[in-house]
Amino acid sequence: MNNKLTQHPDNAMLVEFSAGTLPTAASICVSAHLHFCQKCRAELLRLDQVGSQLMTEAEPADVDDSLFDSVMAKIEKAEAAPPENIDQKSDNGFPFSVNRLLNNPAHRPIWKRMSGSVDVARFKTGQSDYEVALHRICAGGKTPKHDHQGTEYTVVLKGSFSDERAVYNEGDFLVRQPGDVHQPMGAQNGECICLSALDAPIKLTNPLGFLMKPLLRINPM
Amino acid sequence: MFKVAISSVGMLRKTIDTRDKNAPAQNRVAVLNSSEKRSDQWSLLLIAVGENRDRQAFAKLFKHFAPLLKSFAQASRHEGWFPGLSEDLVQEVMIKVWQKAAGYKPEKASATTWIYTVARNCRIDMLRRKSNTQHLPLENEDFWHEPDEETPISLLRQKRSEDKLQNSLSQLPREQDEILRKVYLEGKSHAEASNELGLPLGTVKSRVRLALQKMQILVTPEYQDELHHE
Repeated sequence: MNNKLTQHPDNAMLVEFSAGTLPTAASICVSAHLHFCQKCRAELLRLDQVGSQLMTEAEPADVDDSLFDSVMAKIEKAEAAPPENIDQKSDNGFPFSVNRLLNNPAHRPIWKRMSGSVDVARFKTGQSDYEVALHRICAGGKTPKHDHQGTEYTVVLKGSFSDERAVYNEGDFLVRQPGDVHQPMGAQNGECICLSALDAPIKLTNPLGFLMKPLLRINPM
Repeated sequence: MFKVAISSVGMLRKTIDTRDKNAPAQNRVAVLNSSEKRSDQWSLLLIAVGENRDRQAFAKLFKHFAPLLKSFAQASRHEGWFPGLSEDLVQEVMIKVWQKAAGYKPEKASATTWIYTVARNCRIDMLRRKSNTQHLPLENEDFWHEPDEETPISLLRQKRSEDKLQNSLSQLPREQDEILRKVYLEGKSHAEASNELGLPLGTVKSRVRLALQKMQILVTPEYQDELHHE
C-alpha cells in the first residue's frame, strides 16, 4: 500500500460517489484515487452498505412473473452471442478507468506539449463541463505560477510533485478552487503524471501570462 | 464469542503477513475461505449462480431482489427518469447479476451490497445513455473496478459494521433519515437536496455527516490505527 498518500476526497464526495450522484469527471478522479487508497475503499464499502440497507428496507414493488421469463430469454440470447473481448490488464499501475480512457478506440488521446516542462493528453468523456486530461511534468520541471478560475481535481498517478504547501505522491487527491495560487514542480527523481479535471482555464499570475492564454484554453469533450 | 473473533482475525492477519508475496492469488482466497465464510442465504445463492450457472438459485435471487430493485428504481427522482424505466432497470440489473456472478467475491461484500452497486451503476448508465449525445467509453462499473485487496477487511469486521448499521439506521432522527433517502434512493446530489429542502448546503452536508458518524461509517482514528497495523 502507498503509505505516503495523505490527501483524500472529502466525505461528501465519497457519499455522492457511493450514491451515484457525483458528476462524471469528478467520479473518474475519485475512482482513480480509490485505486491507490485502501482507507477510502473501506469507507466506500461501508457507504455502499448504507445504500444497500436503504434499498432492502424499502417496500417491495409488484413484479409480474413474465419479467423473469423476459430476463431469462435475454440472458440466453446474450449467451448465444460471442463473448466480448476482455480488456487485457495493463501493468502501468494506472487505475482501470484511466486505462480505459487511454485505450478508447474512438478517441485515442495524443500527448501535446503545453510548456517547456508540461505535456497534456486530453480524454473524451462524453460530458461538457470538465476537461479531463493527463498532465506530465518532466523531472524537476517547473510550471508557471497560476490561480484557478474554477474547480480543479488532481490525482497523482505516477511519481510526485510539490507546491508551496506540500509534496504530493501517488494517489493523492487535490481540489483547487479560485484563489488557490500555486506553482507545482515535478520531483527531481523522475517524471510525474497526474490525472486532472478542470472546469475553467487556469490563470497565470505573471503579468505576461495573457500571452499563454490560447494554450491554456480547456476543451471538455 | 468476542475472544474467538479476535483470535481468528489475528490468525488471518498472521497468515497474510507471512505469505509469499508472489504466491498466486488463488492461494490467498483459499486461506481466507478456510477461516471465514459468508453464510447468508443470498450470498450462497449468488455464489451458486457464479460457480454453477444454477438457474434455481438465480430464480430465488430474482424473486427476492426484483421487487426491491423495482422499488429502488421507482424511488429515483433523477432528471430524465420516468416510471416506465423501472422494469428496464430490473431487467438490466438481473441480467448483469447472472453475467457477473462469477466475479462476485464474497470476502469483499455481501450479495446485497454487491447487487446494490450493480443497480446503482446500471441506473447511472441508463441515465447517461439517455442524456448523452456524446459517448462515454466507460460504463459506470468501470469506475468501481477495484484492485484485489492486499488486506481484505475481515468478514467479522464487515459483519459487525453491517449489524451496527442496521440498528443505527432505524434510530436516526427523522431529518437525517430523510436526507440519506434523498441522496441514496431519489438520487439527489447534496446541492439538489439543499435546494429542495430550502436548507444551506452546509446544513445538508453536516446532516449527512452526523448520520454517518452515528452509524460509525466514517473512518475513526482507531480504525485508521488498525489499518496501519495491518
